Amino acid sequence: GHPWCRGCGGEALIYVKLISSDGHEFIVKREHALTSETIKTMLSGPGHFAENKTNEVNFREIPSHVLSKVCMYFTYKIQYTNGSKEIPEFPIAPEIPLELLMAVNFLDC
Amino acid sequence: MEEEGRSREEPLLLAELKPGRPHQFDWKSSCETWSVAFSPDGSWFAWSQGHCIVKLIPWPLEEQFIPKGFEAKSRSSKNETKGRGSPKEKTLDCGQIVWGLAFSPWPSPPSKKLWARHHPQVPDVSCLILATGLNDGQIKIWEVQTGLLLLNLSGHQDVVRDLSFTPSGSLILVSASRDKTLRIWDLNKHGKQIQVLSGHLQWVYCCSISPDCSMLCSAAGEKSVFLWSMRSYTLIRKLEGHQSSVVSCDFSPDSALLVTASYDTNVIMWDPYTGERLRSLHHTQLNPPMDDSDVHISSLRSVCFSPEGLYLATVADDRLLRIWALELKTPIAFAPMTNGLCCTFFPHGGVIATGTRDGHVQFWTAPRVLSSLKHLCRKALRSFLTTYQVLALPIPKKMKEFLTYRTF
Repeated sequence: GHPWCRGCGGEALIYVKLISSDGHEFIVKREHALTSETIKTMLSGPGHFAENKTNEVNFREIPSHVLSKVCMYFTYKIQYTNGSKEIPEFPIAPEIPLELLMAVNFLDC
Repeated sequence: MEEEGRSREEPLLLAELKPGRPHQFDWKSSCETWSVAFSPDGSWFAWSQGHCIVKLIPWPLEEQFIPKGFEAKSRSSKNETKGRGSPKEKTLDCGQIVWGLAFSPWPSPPSKKLWARHHPQVPDVSCLILATGLNDGQIKIWEVQTGLLLLNLSGHQDVVRDLSFTPSGSLILVSASRDKTLRIWDLNKHGKQIQVLSGHLQWVYCCSISPDCSMLCSAAGEKSVFLWSMRSYTLIRKLEGHQSSVVSCDFSPDSALLVTASYDTNVIMWDPYTGERLRSLHHTQLNPPMDDSDVHISSLRSVCFSPEGLYLATVADDRLLRIWALELKTPIAFAPMTNGLCCTFFPHGGVIATGTRDGHVQFWTAPRVLSSLKHLCRKALRSFLTTYQVLALPIPKKMKEFLTYRTF
């Protein structure tokens, strides 16, 4: 089985692996990754049976410095949705917003 | 349409502050709250409570710190509580009706350096400044923490209706007056008047500086909206479209959009870089009268953007506070409020403050918004890219339309 996920075979896999164009692997909670409508579709598309359920996605056009920011957004969204705490700003450094926007447009989140 | 993570609830009244004892009638005073403001860091709230007084209270408002002389009704308590005041609250007696209010961004250069020559008692720490626009054209500049009057700026010949500090913290102040001019003041040079902007034909009702500090918007009684350059202090363009006096204006947090509100019952959303009119928000009555009376009952008084840039709040004479989502043509929520004059969002979101003709101040719940990453990228990009720069990018047309707010 996969050492980085709990319970294979029978139990739902709670982590998924997102792989950037430059080969970095980001392991995030499945629940978080589903923030992206595109990832949601990719992970539960037709032809995937329970035992062979996809738990990794390759992004051939998204580099690691962009994908890492996307993963941070997943955490931010899950943490502050449906709560009553004041929502803090999500910082985006000036060098990446355009590349990030291209990736986000594809990911739909 | 994208799903933004938001709650679809009517604004709820969180608290209302009412002046406890009616003040004696006096020819120079009246009880309207013409302006309300939060300091940019959210630590203070100020309102011109009428009777020539400005009240300053630390934020958040705690029940034991209801300002002195006020009665408060809050969502949690059923009875009205009489205020005993907070040790930090300040009452500024301006001596005449206060029309405009503006906080400087915090922190400013150490106050000793700026004010020591004239005010040796000002503490040697970064200070927060409040500018107040008065009935006879004077502008009084106050230090918030001590309540000290720092400066008196003279020049305007009539009511100073609105004020705006540059968001960069450079201590440049813009004032808008019924004398049909706007004036630029440099508080680094003890309030020296550095420019007079002429051109308006009637009372100037409001002024607003874009968050990137490049543009100044002013709106006046002759139905026009002017855009000025904050670098050269010259007129860039005139925006025509309103059918009556334009009384309120606000830029979006990324400077990409400008909204203006008029007595003609409309709010118009513009692209300030191109002057294009993007959409109109019509304020129609919920229950129109049977006859033709009160055509102007939905005159707008105030419009403001929410801090993340996805909502607008408007106050109109038809006794409604409306919340609008940018991409929709009808309001998403209404709250009844009588005699509303002004509104503003708390800088970190979640609360809207409104002021009324009877000197009441109300705090409402604002939609809780978790922006999509797509909008966050747009906001980050538009904070430094003009519309023309976006159009020149090597990206698909649909992406340009999204970035320039032609689509949402």
